[in-house]
Amino acid sequence: MLAALQGALNPALFWEYRVILLTGLLQNLYIFAESAVVAIILAFIVGIARLSPRRALSGTAIAYAEVFRNTPEYVLLVWIYFVLPLLLTKLLGMQIKFSPHLAAVIGLGVAYSGFMSETVRAGLRSIPAGQAEAAQSLGLSGFTILRRITLPQAVRRMLPEIVNQLVSLFKATTIVSLISVQDIMYQVSMISVAEMRPVPLYTGAALIYCVVIIAATQALQSLTQRWRTRGWA
Amino acid sequence: MIENFNRYVLANLDPLLGGLWVTIYVCFWSFLLALILGLFACLVRLRGGVLRYLAIPYIEFCRATPILVQLLWVNYVWPEIFGFPQTVIGAGIIALALQASGYLAETFRSGFEGLPSGQREAAAAVGMSRWRVLYRIELPQVALVATPLVINQLAVIVKSSTLVSVIAIPDLMYQGLKIVNQWYEPIEVLTAIALAYFLLIFSISRVANAVYVNFQVKFGLAGYG
Repeated sequence: MLAALQGALNPALFWEYRVILLTGLLQNLYIFAESAVVAIILAFIVGIARLSPRRALSGTAIAYAEVFRNTPEYVLLVWIYFVLPLLLTKLLGMQIKFSPHLAAVIGLGVAYSGFMSETVRAGLRSIPAGQAEAAQSLGLSGFTILRRITLPQAVRRMLPEIVNQLVSLFKATTIVSLISVQDIMYQVSMISVAEMRPVPLYTGAALIYCVVIIAATQALQSLTQRWRTRGWA
Repeated sequence: MIENFNRYVLANLDPLLGGLWVTIYVCFWSFLLALILGLFACLVRLRGGVLRYLAIPYIEFCRATPILVQLLWVNYVWPEIFGFPQTVIGAGIIALALQASGYLAETFRSGFEGLPSGQREAAAAVGMSRWRVLYRIELPQVALVATPLVINQLAVIVKSSTLVSVIAIPDLMYQGLKIVNQWYEPIEVLTAIALAYFLLIFSISRVANAVYVNFQVKFGLAGYG
């Protein structure tokens, strides 16, 4: 067992394939950044729509959030990669095909916008209604109230939770390898097939993720902590 | 579309239902294992003395590593280092349980830390042993607070369990992808599977919500959650 353990932690194989693995990690970061932007934009739209007095609008927003919160990311990803292009092709009458990268960004973005819309809603709800009413009585428009009064305060309260969601999103980017995006897990699988030595590679990948994610969480939380206390808007 | 639905979904209902059964089986055992591991890790972290320096990295590792990575790691690496699990189902159950146990340990910990320390001191003052305090006074209250969150964790396990198809456990997702690869007709099969997972997970989170509301009314809990 000791020899096996030593083999498991042997970094030589990692060093040998460092370029490929780093390219994979970059691909992860790239997809993470794109889908985070998609998720945050959608989450704000849906979260604001949920608080709308119009039943049709808030009902649609609730359904959207529930559907995407309760569907597994992997199923969603596969569905968007295989089914959505076919449906669009039938609907629009022209050939549509998604690249794995595009499907991954849409899938992860949409899935996490469901979670984040809850955060946005909770953040907006936490601002006392009296403020919006006072602003209204001064003659500010609904959009101005949102932009100048409610959102700046709400965003600060949302930040810790949004950071948690972003960390989960980064963890979820590992599954894009399953629709053949060439990310780090994809490369790790390929190399371990070629080398017939899965032990050090998978152990290394697990440790790398662990370290990267703990460090990123700490860094992001302290960064947003500063942002929260120093004021923003 | 209806015709395709009959041909690909209804005609393959047996393997799909078999897959659903495997999904439930894997989720059930990993949930049970995660509860035990999570409670154990939590207790070691809180009361374990020096051993806490083993529990903290364990919990952090479980929480900070993506489930797919853990799944492949347990499946390929564990048999060579520890000599088990010998089956893919075992690997799937262990990996899902590892991930969930990290989160559950933190859930339990927040429950324990929410209890006023006066209770423990009072129980010790009337001469109750540490174990007795734990299972007569602390655990029942922690269970009340943690149950909704624990049920939610089950929903997360079901969600993550879609990934066990990657290591060839014949769960619902695996059976669905198999049919898709056989006929190249993904629309109906994948939509039906997405719907099935949605209904399963949605109902679990509804139950969690109902339990949460029910407990709050029945036991007058406030400020937790």
